[in-house]
Amino acid sequence: MSEVIPTEGLGKPVEVGAIDGELKKLWEADEASTNASLMNFLVYTEDPHRLLRNTEMIQNLTREHACRAVLIAMNRKATDVKVESWITAHCHLAHGKKSICSEQIAFLLHGNSLGRLRNTVFAHLNSDLPLVFWWQGELSDLFEERLYRLLNRLIFDSATWTDPLAGFRRIAEAREESKGRMVTQDLSWTRSYFYRLAVARLFDEPTAQKAFPEIDQVRIEGNPQHRVTVLLFLAWISTRSGWSLSDCQGGKWTFLSREGLAISVNFEWDERAAPIAGMVMSAPGCEVKIEREAGSDHLCQSISAGEHHVVSRGPADADEPEGLVASQLSRGGKNTLFLTVFPQFMEILKRSE
Amino acid sequence: MTVGEGGVSNPFREDLVSRNLAEACSVVIFGATGDLTHRKLIPALYNLAVDGELPAGVQILGFARRDWSDEFFREGLEKLNRQVSRTGHDDGIWESLASNIHYHQSEFQDEDGYRRLSERLDEIDRERGGKGNRLFYIASAPEYFDDILLNLKKVGLSQERPDCEGCWSRVIVEKPFGTTLATAQHLNEVVNGTFQEKDTYRIDHYLGKETAQNIMVLRFANAIFEPMWNKEHIDHIQITCAEHLGMEGGRGGYYDKSGALRDMVQNHLLQLLSLVAMEPPTDLSADGVRDEKVKVIRSLRQWDTPELVAENVVRGQYVSGNVNGTEVPGYREEDRVNPESETEAYVALRCMVDTWRWSGVPFYVRMGKRLPKKATEISIHFKETPSVLFNALPGGVPAGNVLVIRIQPDEGISLMMNSKLPGTTLRMEPVKMDFHYASSFGKSSPEAYERLLLDAMAGDATLFARRDEVEEAWRFIDKIHHAWNKMGREIPIAEYPAGSWGPREADEMLAKDSRTWRRL
Repeated sequence: MSEVIPTEGLGKPVEVGAIDGELKKLWEADEASTNASLMNFLVYTEDPHRLLRNTEMIQNLTREHACRAVLIAMNRKATDVKVESWITAHCHLAHGKKSICSEQIAFLLHGNSLGRLRNTVFAHLNSDLPLVFWWQGELSDLFEERLYRLLNRLIFDSATWTDPLAGFRRIAEAREESKGRMVTQDLSWTRSYFYRLAVARLFDEPTAQKAFPEIDQVRIEGNPQHRVTVLLFLAWISTRSGWSLSDCQGGKWTFLSREGLAISVNFEWDERAAPIAGMVMSAPGCEVKIEREAGSDHLCQSISAGEHHVVSRGPADADEPEGLVASQLSRGGKNTLFLTVFPQFMEILKRSE
Repeated sequence: MTVGEGGVSNPFREDLVSRNLAEACSVVIFGATGDLTHRKLIPALYNLAVDGELPAGVQILGFARRDWSDEFFREGLEKLNRQVSRTGHDDGIWESLASNIHYHQSEFQDEDGYRRLSERLDEIDRERGGKGNRLFYIASAPEYFDDILLNLKKVGLSQERPDCEGCWSRVIVEKPFGTTLATAQHLNEVVNGTFQEKDTYRIDHYLGKETAQNIMVLRFANAIFEPMWNKEHIDHIQITCAEHLGMEGGRGGYYDKSGALRDMVQNHLLQLLSLVAMEPPTDLSADGVRDEKVKVIRSLRQWDTPELVAENVVRGQYVSGNVNGTEVPGYREEDRVNPESETEAYVALRCMVDTWRWSGVPFYVRMGKRLPKKATEISIHFKETPSVLFNALPGGVPAGNVLVIRIQPDEGISLMMNSKLPGTTLRMEPVKMDFHYASSFGKSSPEAYERLLLDAMAGDATLFARRDEVEEAWRFIDKIHHAWNKMGREIPIAEYPAGSWGPREADEMLAKDSRTWRRL
């Protein structure tokens, strides 16, 4: 007996060959709405039960990012090879007046068929608009060169991978093969964005700047589910600071500054904590600290140096993948900072295995 | 790059943002009890904090005459922030920001008040570990500009602290930057006698608007436009700033002394014109861009005789009419307006930019109160196609292509093109390709003041007017005013009913060139 996958809420069921015609009818029937699209946004999952969740997510995401959304779920366990498809539109009032709509095409692909994912993607793109591809979950054998050479932006979440080292090696190969055309964005990296911003803000303070060359301890508290985020954050700190990894034994890490000063790095893990729950950089007489309680929208940032104590609050990164994707799409760019940090990160990741 | 090398002292800042880095400072706002502070400046700083853009350790100090406490000042700011903030109001972020907001009571003319200010700033720096950077924002009434600047100089606040390497002291001056060339020159003398030009930021909030910044991107990042951006392909350009409001809220008192030409054209509209007409800058540095903009203003043909002004400039006042279904009074019947006022509530100009690129291409600029709707836009009217093929058919081609850059509201870009109507006959109609910022980018754009405050903290003056730009603009505007003053009623003030698109005389000015104003 085949598995039942819920599909109510995906919109109007249509034949694959009739999608373009049905979309046209959809827009012609509603003259009051504006069809807006800045990109093709493709969300791919090999967990067919995520299809409904993904359509809800697109409903929210299109408030800020008008797109043609193509949702593809692959039910690889199915024995019959068939395709089901649906169309719908997500509409939002812009500034309380105009109804702005983004169209969505959803596909449920049953069974295995050579090249079908690639063809489904290529056949339903809005021409010329950039192709942003969000690959959910593990990278499978379907992540192949003929597919990713046409992507403008690949979004993935390494926190969902069982073998991050292998996953990142795969991504590095793909980026190389695309000759830099494909921008890669890891949500684990995005999760550290406001932490990085907070560190940068704190080191604008003269007290922190003065203490910087004498930093000898770093402590990072994180959620073990988000180990990659913590390691990426550490890779960023050490790259920007010019620290090189010297030793890693029994969970104790030592970096060396350019001046030869040893910096010890410790981690604390808590399964209930935020992805990065805290960071303390210590130098004699000065402590730079950032904390975030699980679920909090804010980071609490402070500098303590003798009697001098500055506390401020700043925004924290979203917890949900859709919030992270929305932020990432808003920021755009080539993600060059990630590429700068990547070699150091891979070194740290290898040593941490 | 290591700490301390090449003046880079914060290695974490590099690469996080693709622009100059804002530095922590104390922001002192003169005129802190006013509307601008409450409605624009503090919400802008708050929104920068929400976006994580505000450098840590920024202190805000309001300077004004009223006897308020820190607490009372903060309460008033919070109340307004809740109403107007672009991103809503988050108590956590606000509390963090508010703890860095202070109030300093003093008369603007009282030197002792500035000494106390200096002491207080030093004290704040000591307490909070501040480096000693100061950003003075002069948002007071213009009659106090001189007093404020001179007193800042007297107490040594306009100079970088001698004991602090790399510290800075900057000033942002709000409009009006003078009311004539002479007053602008005087103010410039005072400003430059107080602060260095590199530390002077003359704010024109139009330049902080997303679409104004997009003009350069549109022109220089799209290969299809720049080759056509000249006299060979462009017939004329129109810049329109329409307002449906009149003199509500007591603004008649200020406006009647100023008028449309000085209030809007001298600054905002000539800035837009210079962005549209400038040559590609050699780089995107502040002076690289401003060098090219000032060349445009300098190249404006001067309307320096009454005859030339009569031919190329139309001034007008609205008479009573109907706006949005409501009867409204004429300009001279408005609150705080002189019943015999000669001040223009509408002005239309034909401007000629005498450069190789724009020779013979008129720039029509108009600004008016009580027009049918609020809109600011620039329209580029391309030349018609040659009179062959479709143009040779009866009726010809409907019109030339028009590229419209909408500055506000409904920011966006549209392009009018001709297309064949479906059917067996060859009929053409214009169609519009339209790009709306709001539709395409659901996320709201930062307010102009957010961008500009951050730029001033980062030392980036690209979006601020330079002294020579301001003075050249006044030189052009003053000559028109002199002609009006010289001729008095010989150059009559045209009338138009409130709610209409301006006086007939403005239409006739374009009709003489066989053109019409674009209908918005």
